Amino acid sequence: MKEKLLKNNTLIIFLLLLIGSSLVSDSFLSGNNLQNLLRQVAPIGLVSIGMFLVILTGGIDLSVGSILAFIGVAFAILSYEVYFAAAIAIVLLLGIGIGAISGYLVAYQRMAPFIATLALMTIVRGAGFLASKGAPISVGEHSAAIMYLGTGSIFGIPVSALLFFGLFIAVFVLLKYHVVGRHIIAIGSNEEAVRLSGISVERTKCLVYIISGFLTALAALMVVGRTGVGSPNIGIGMELDAIAAVVIGGTSLAGGRGSVFFTLLGVFILGMIGNIMNLLDVTAYLQQLIKGIIIILAVLFQKRSI
Amino acid sequence: MPMLKLRHIKKYFAGVKALEDVNLEVTSGEIHALLGENGAGKSTLMKVISGAHLADEGEIIFENKPLLKTSPSISKSLGISIIYQEFSLVEDLSVAENIYLGKGSSMKWLNWNHINKSAEVLLHSLGFQINVRQKVAKLSIAEQQIVEIAKALSSDVKLLILDEPSAVLGTAELAKLFVLLRSLRDRGVAIIYISHHLDELLELTDRITVLKDGRSVETVFTKDISKDDLVTLMIGRSISQMYPQKRYTALDGKQIQINNLQTVMSVEPISLILNKGEILGIGGLVGAGRTEILDSLFGNYNNRAEIIIDNKKMVLRHPKGMIEGGWGMVPEDRKRLGGILPMSIKENISLTNLGKISNRWGFINLRKEKEIVLQLIQKLQIKIGSMDDPLASLSGGNQQKVILAKWLNVAPQVLLVDEPTRGVDVGARAEIYTIIQELADQGVYILMVSSDMDELMGLSDRIVIVRKGQLIGELQKSDFSEEIILRMALGAN
Ligand SMILES: Nc1ncnc2c1ncn2[C@@H]1O[C@H](COP(=O)(O)OP(=O)(O)OP(=O)(O)O)[C@@H](O)[C@H]1O
Ligand SMILES: [Mg+2]
Repeated sequence: MKEKLLKNNTLIIFLLLLIGSSLVSDSFLSGNNLQNLLRQVAPIGLVSIGMFLVILTGGIDLSVGSILAFIGVAFAILSYEVYFAAAIAIVLLLGIGIGAISGYLVAYQRMAPFIATLALMTIVRGAGFLASKGAPISVGEHSAAIMYLGTGSIFGIPVSALLFFGLFIAVFVLLKYHVVGRHIIAIGSNEEAVRLSGISVERTKCLVYIISGFLTALAALMVVGRTGVGSPNIGIGMELDAIAAVVIGGTSLAGGRGSVFFTLLGVFILGMIGNIMNLLDVTAYLQQLIKGIIIILAVLFQKRSI
Repeated sequence: MPMLKLRHIKKYFAGVKALEDVNLEVTSGEIHALLGENGAGKSTLMKVISGAHLADEGEIIFENKPLLKTSPSISKSLGISIIYQEFSLVEDLSVAENIYLGKGSSMKWLNWNHINKSAEVLLHSLGFQINVRQKVAKLSIAEQQIVEIAKALSSDVKLLILDEPSAVLGTAELAKLFVLLRSLRDRGVAIIYISHHLDELLELTDRITVLKDGRSVETVFTKDISKDDLVTLMIGRSISQMYPQKRYTALDGKQIQINNLQTVMSVEPISLILNKGEILGIGGLVGAGRTEILDSLFGNYNNRAEIIIDNKKMVLRHPKGMIEGGWGMVPEDRKRLGGILPMSIKENISLTNLGKISNRWGFINLRKEKEIVLQLIQKLQIKIGSMDDPLASLSGGNQQKVILAKWLNVAPQVLLVDEPTRGVDVGARAEIYTIIQELADQGVYILMVSSDMDELMGLSDRIVIVRKGQLIGELQKSDFSEEIILRMALGAN
């Protein structure tokens, strides 16, 4: 592990950004801003972890941004119709269901992941617009707990961030200690050999899309909790941010190789870039441009070390 | 004056020794064998010559000029061609494309007719027939090996290096290869030939250099040395007995009956009987459909075969179902089907057995995993640095042992093995034979495909012969003879 840390430049990039940010802006290290940063990072972080697992198997999930919007809308609508807990349960199941469809198409119908999830991306985005008639829906009054998830904090740490860290640890443990984690990594390297070793490649592949759908639904609840509305417009391009975080974390897009810890760092690297530019009042357009350049630099830097 | 001269070559991989001190001279017009145990450093040495690896220390002198910062493209332009132990063909390209990959100016338009034609001519002149428009992914390993050879010979060669070409070739192809190599030698080409089959070296080569633990121990003239002396030079002791004592007698009479088995190659369904504790060998030419039989039996080919074990019927399902039913298969194609190269040695070995070393929530007992893997590594005497190293970092023969270990790990009731000792050195081969025999003695049903005639006759209790996907004959131990087997395999009567 120590060797890995030294060999991988993601950590260095992370530290450089951290130090650089605190130097150029006094308010960067303020408690308020750090809380803000954690809150911004938590949802995209969850989505990135799901994306990471999918990419480990050699796949890709383009539907996450659409799922995020759709689940938000669905929750907002349901918050008027059913009990709060039921609404949560239903939307999480919806996330799982959408993931299962992608997984089914990829694993059992052998569709290319790019195509299958591209189709779902469009379908689910459309469904979100249809259900909301194109306009944001504010969440019903009694959804206090969901607000707590979005805005609350324990000992100064946002609840959403705690949940994100918890799930990060869960995935870390899954990959290191669990049979399924082993299977996920193995499949990304050599699917055929895994199949001949008596492992159900289909089931494992399907599972990673389900996990991705589930984590994205959770992320959607965080976003709704923070903003108080379910909007069909959000999450556009989010899949690309998630992929970027995974790639900055040094995971091979071909599958089989990668670390969830570095994905976490990748998420924070992207998050900090956005955060510091906001603090410095960089305009949104310029932000995009700079972000793209930094992604290229990070990955180049990364390559050198492998 | 030697064409190639290596002096004090040294090469380490991240602190792991591959080569310590190697001296080697190869002259034009000779076939020079390189012999050594698995992991002795043969492949690494060849890669140093071809420029795929840079030596840490030492000199390479080729045609009186030192090769300093060499690379594969430099060595190629000098007339050094190498056929690597692990293939380097592009699977999605056709045979012809592979052969002419990287040749000719990149600015010119490709003339497909011309490329296909000359590939065909080249293969034909080497004595082989392969459809050059076919994708490499569709070829058998033997055919892939032939394409590799053709590729190496498609440009002017002064020094030709072959790293275990015979491991995947059958008798017939091997004979053709020998003819080819001898004619190249007579034209003044220098050839380095690596193989673990001593008979081949004695038959083909002029001189033999023995490598041990990264050092060149000795170079001898082939005509002056006996097989036993070679073994002693190589592993430091002699092997009194290559094949284990046979104990099999069909005592308890338990059988597996296989009826109505279809394979990709079979026109008519196949029937087979396996006896408990017996090693049944499958003989035949490369491409005769032997691997396909194992493949079908392991549930890789949709069919309506009927399997009766001890009077109980079993359905043929996918590999997962077969493994749950106590079957195991060591596949022929180590790189594509056998192992997962980027994964660690440990994870490769335990992959088939995770269910047994994890609790009911699916969490793996890492300590137990380590223990079991360590035992298997010791049992098979696999030469490794750490079990956490990737499988890819092992020498070819040691990779093969890892894959065997992976299947021993499931303690199968029926074990299908396809070329079990491909690329394994003499000493280790004897150990693997002992292990397979032990399994059989413990009552495991064993079905083995082998292109190595010695191995097939030495280890099998009974042999069936396959030609064009059909079983065409059966021999009992007392009737084994190389000639009869070959004749049946060829279809001559
Ligand atoms: N890329 C690599 N990284 C780390 N270690 C390596 C690498 N390549 C080879 N080695 C190590 O160098 C040693 C020599 O390996 P090499 O492949 O040259 O053996 P070999 O004589 O060709 O064996 P075999 O007969 O099994 O093919 C082995 O211990 C092997 O583990
Ligand atoms: Mg080798």
